[in-house]
Amino acid sequence: MVDGSASLDRVRARQGWRYRAAVAGRVVLAAFGGYALAALATAFLSLTLPMVRSEAVATATLLSFAILAGAVIWVFAARTLLRAAIGLGIPMALVGVGLWVALGLVAAGPPA
Amino acid sequence: MTPLSIALNLALSFAGLAALCLSMDRHHRAIAGRGQSRTRARGLRLAGWAVIAVSFAAAILTSDWNFGPVQWIGSLTGAALLVVALVSYRPAWIRPAALLALPLALAAVLLA
Amino acid sequence: MRPGFRQSMAWLHTWAGLVTGWVMFAVFVTGTATYYRADISLWMRPELRAGPSDPIPAAERGIAYLKTHAPKAMAWYVSVPQPDRPVIGVYWMDSLEAPLGQALLDRETGTPTRARDTQGGDFFYRFHYELQMMPTLGRWIVGGAAMILLVALISGIVTHRRIFADFFTFRRDKSAQRGWLDAHNVTGVLALPFHLMITYTGIVTLGLMYMPWGVTAAYKGDDLRFFVESAQSTTWRPAAGRPAEALPLAPLLARAQGEVSEPLEMVIVNNPRDAGATVVAVFEEPHGLAHQHPQIAFDAVSGAVVERVGTMKPAAHVFTSFMGLHEAQFASPVLRALFFLCGLMGAATIATGLVLWSVARMPKAGEAPRFGLRLVRGLNIGTILGLPIGMAAFFLANRLLPVDLAHRATWEGGVFFGAWALAALVPLARPHRRAWVEMGLSAGLLFGAVPIVGALTTDRGFDFLAFDAAMLGLGLVLALGARAVSLYEGRRAAARAARPAGGLAPKGLVKA
Repeated sequence: MVDGSASLDRVRARQGWRYRAAVAGRVVLAAFGGYALAALATAFLSLTLPMVRSEAVATATLLSFAILAGAVIWVFAARTLLRAAIGLGIPMALVGVGLWVALGLVAAGPPA
Repeated sequence: MTPLSIALNLALSFAGLAALCLSMDRHHRAIAGRGQSRTRARGLRLAGWAVIAVSFAAAILTSDWNFGPVQWIGSLTGAALLVVALVSYRPAWIRPAALLALPLALAAVLLA
Repeated sequence: MRPGFRQSMAWLHTWAGLVTGWVMFAVFVTGTATYYRADISLWMRPELRAGPSDPIPAAERGIAYLKTHAPKAMAWYVSVPQPDRPVIGVYWMDSLEAPLGQALLDRETGTPTRARDTQGGDFFYRFHYELQMMPTLGRWIVGGAAMILLVALISGIVTHRRIFADFFTFRRDKSAQRGWLDAHNVTGVLALPFHLMITYTGIVTLGLMYMPWGVTAAYKGDDLRFFVESAQSTTWRPAAGRPAEALPLAPLLARAQGEVSEPLEMVIVNNPRDAGATVVAVFEEPHGLAHQHPQIAFDAVSGAVVERVGTMKPAAHVFTSFMGLHEAQFASPVLRALFFLCGLMGAATIATGLVLWSVARMPKAGEAPRFGLRLVRGLNIGTILGLPIGMAAFFLANRLLPVDLAHRATWEGGVFFGAWALAALVPLARPHRRAWVEMGLSAGLLFGAVPIVGALTTDRGFDFLAFDAAMLGLGLVLALGARAVSLYEGRRAAARAARPAGGLAPKGLVKA
């Protein structure tokens, strides 16, 4: 808990740039990676959820911030930065491909 | 969402939370100056949850599913803050206050 | 960033809370004040009297003003007087890029109001989500901070493993750090549903700005279309490009009112003076959580109904209910007071968390505080007490600045930021704990002065009992807080004096 963190912080401060770089890496990954995943998921769900498009957009946008929060928690909970990146990258790739397919279907227009 | 229905919720929440507080050994010792039997603690805990459940039912009945939950949670928070303040600053008052809250709740029902 | 889920979440909670704490404290305090926006505005315009008025003639007066003062605008908006907002608000849009023009009119005469120039409660409202900065920048900063706060809330729940066991626990007799931790936990846990709700719904309220990609994908970025399809607004009908005379307004509004039981709230005219002009009558929300205004659109020239905004589908209903929950306009006075209390508890959770960070890193006796600690301490006192001092000064400025001062509303804002800056800078030159006492007392005195100055400088006497009582209450709480710190300081000094030189002090005292 918060109690012991002061002395631990001091120990950690001595670990130098390696630790700082790892923290900075996670912050960047959480902010940009997390947002990218949430944005892709919002666009994907807006096109694919089985409801009227206004309803799909409202649902996807409502969910997007939970997805973003979950992604950030994951990035800081993962044991290493690499694991965090992989854990974020795989869903991002899946949703990205799904979005690409969905966009192609939308461009082709609904079946007559 | 009349003032009386919120007063009813506040009184019930306070009584229920006070019972839950009394059922916990640490607080019971601070309030009564001695420990309590297991049976008594369990009885208080049951009573506390029961009164909170009644408060939920009262919120739904008086303010429907739209506002009822909002009102129920809001009054739980307000009442809990009062319980904590009493336990910390005036522990001797909590039992009489909880016993007074029940007839107040009844009065709110009769007036409404 | 430490082995183990709970440990990494504790780390995340500490640092996410710290970096977002100062901004979010200000957002919580000004947002909590916004629950009483109408009451603050009434107090700040003492020339006005609250009371009912007839909406349709008021709407006509507003439109008449816009006809002469904004003839070239692409849209006019008139908000009719409400019992707690006894003025006609007129707004006009010259282009999609330009900021809205606006004026407040007397509800009886339709001429610009004689009430003093002030932003009233809207000042805190706008600060709450834009920090009084450039709108886009301010909204992104607040949104980013709110998102980090959401992460801090979730990681805080994981970190705090004794949520139920410690539910009622506030130990004042143990170490200072324990006391601050308990205070942080109690204010955080007791109002946790509110904290989660208000943070998430706040982000959702500006959600389409932060996360526009659903509209981008499904509507090719046409958000007006989305608002129409989700039953939030009427369709924008393009201008015909030739002028035409519009029908008188009152009969149209009366026809609309005949269909709707809620009172009229706003009248919109799109493409005024054009042959394709549209009049939209917007009514107040039916009693419910959601923002769901009944709206009827007329062709302004023929008088035919062109659109009625229908009922919302489930997801749109949830979306607008989130916005409604955030603003709590539905709340009766008692429930509003509970929301207000929860908002204060949110601010207290953040403030105690910030203080806890600095208390946990207290330097050992004889050690100089490090730069990071000095910075956090300075920002803590500058925010936690500086902001209330700024707010009290803002209220005082409203009464003390000359009524006919040019750019008066801007001056009021200037006093707010000036007093806040002063209250943040002075403590840097004072011993840390003394500064808490001095600034707390100053804030208490300033709030206590508000009702007195208010009554002396207007003819309203005791018309604002609730507002005055709230100011006195806030002043009293701040002064009592300062007294508590000062008593604590006295006890510490006594303990230090009683300690034998060179001997070991009891552990609890050193930590305190």
